[in-house]
Amino acid sequence: MVLQSLKNCLWLSCVLRTPKACFWSTASGGLIIQSVSNDVYQNLAVEDWIHDHMDLEKQQILFLWRNSPAVVIGRHQNPWQECNLRLLRQKNIKLARRRSGGGTVYHDLGNINLTFFTTRKKYERMGNLKLVVKALKALRPQLDVHVTDRYDILLNKQYKISGTAAKLGRTSAYHHCTLLCNADKFVLSSVLKSPYKGLKSNATASVPASVKNLFEEDATLTSEILLDAIAKEYAVQHQIDHHITLINPADETLLPGISNKTKELQTWEWVYGKTPKFSISTCLNIAYKGSVLDIKVNMDVKHGRIEACNIDLPEQWLPSGLHSELVRSLTGSKFCPNEITMLVTTLLKVCPQDNELHSRWSLLCENMIRLM
Amino acid sequence: MAWRALRRVGPVLAPRCPRLPLPPRGPAARRLGTSSLLLSARKFTDKHEWISVENGIGTVGISNFAQEALGDVVYCSLPEVGTKLSKHDEFGALESVKAASELYSPLSGEVTEINAALADNPGLVNKSCYQDGWLIKMTVANPAELDELMTEDAYEKYIKSIED
Repeated sequence: MVLQSLKNCLWLSCVLRTPKACFWSTASGGLIIQSVSNDVYQNLAVEDWIHDHMDLEKQQILFLWRNSPAVVIGRHQNPWQECNLRLLRQKNIKLARRRSGGGTVYHDLGNINLTFFTTRKKYERMGNLKLVVKALKALRPQLDVHVTDRYDILLNKQYKISGTAAKLGRTSAYHHCTLLCNADKFVLSSVLKSPYKGLKSNATASVPASVKNLFEEDATLTSEILLDAIAKEYAVQHQIDHHITLINPADETLLPGISNKTKELQTWEWVYGKTPKFSISTCLNIAYKGSVLDIKVNMDVKHGRIEACNIDLPEQWLPSGLHSELVRSLTGSKFCPNEITMLVTTLLKVCPQDNELHSRWSLLCENMIRLM
Repeated sequence: MAWRALRRVGPVLAPRCPRLPLPPRGPAARRLGTSSLLLSARKFTDKHEWISVENGIGTVGISNFAQEALGDVVYCSLPEVGTKLSKHDEFGALESVKAASELYSPLSGEVTEINAALADNPGLVNKSCYQDGWLIKMTVANPAELDELMTEDAYEKYIKSIED
């Protein structure tokens, strides 16, 4: 792996900040960069920054990056439908929404991400994926890898090792793909399983696939070796130096405005609030004093907020005033466990100090919050 | 929207959307011409959106060329009614075959209606891009901006020029 020194970082800093004419005279054809960060939001922000600020007409860019554990959903997806949010919170796995289409993926340091930036005219996913396959074959000629018409890369004709997504803007475009080297498959399959039943949505749904790590096929294939091979093949095809420039996504002087982009990608409004409108129709089976209660819950959620809500409780289970107060307060609130926890705690403070009532209330609210 | 490169993946996408083979250019132009007599004249942007204005309200969609290049549309992200748009503003995105393609407003104005049918049936954009698959309706704040857009004939020539 040719990881360049700080000197190269400064070089990039220099070229990016110099007027374009000067930049083009020093670099032509293409640029290969690699992030020094493993933060998913920072790396997605680099993509946004390049997409918004770089002139890709004369110079295409390959961006290489890896993330610490994260689930990344597509632009028009529903996180409740795509992954196990409770497990993500328990395991401290980040959730990010990217700006490209496509389905949900799991990232950790055993997965590498490649972003191919071009003008919209030169956007060509199949060509990029063939480049990756060629790099893999150059490394280990015996590997059985090929690109499908869904732009996946399959190993041994059945295991997905790479998934693709893309974003097309006015003049710029990017295609990014994952490549599974040595990711934690157990975590991958457990976090990408939604426990949800009764969720109705028009959001883009992921297509589940059996996956395999390249490492399982050949234990000598590390992320570093793979990144280097891909960079080499990119350099050959673009007739540029095989030279990877390190980039720090926290560097505001190099990438002016990037910290705002990073912040935006972390907001609740972007990650959850951009979820296409959906509805939930489910039945909570709550064990209470030796019997099981069936509580039907219906909710419409738009922009991540509860637009309409109906909770069907057994008669007299809660004072009717409290029941309607709960429904009234939920309506308009974020479909978010923290917000709802605060809300129900506040509501409980104003209701009669009755132990029985308190335990019923807690039980109901706990179960409601589990839905989020 | 810019589609030339997308067209290159045509052979790959073709089996996924076999129902609308691209008609030869000549007859397509004539057919477009005829329908424009029935509706108000469609005007086109170089990003392949169209707009037709009737009683001061513009209906916006994407061209047949664009929908073919995109492949099967699986999700339409559209603005809220009341959103104020300037010419060239992003107003949403279409998702197809794992790609999100931004949509750009052909004119300045305010969104008055979105095509609700697309929520359950985004494929209408492919099946009927000039009729049932329209995207939004909007007011026309500055009618002079219409003159900056291409007529159907000019658009047909434009497509030919970018295909060559």
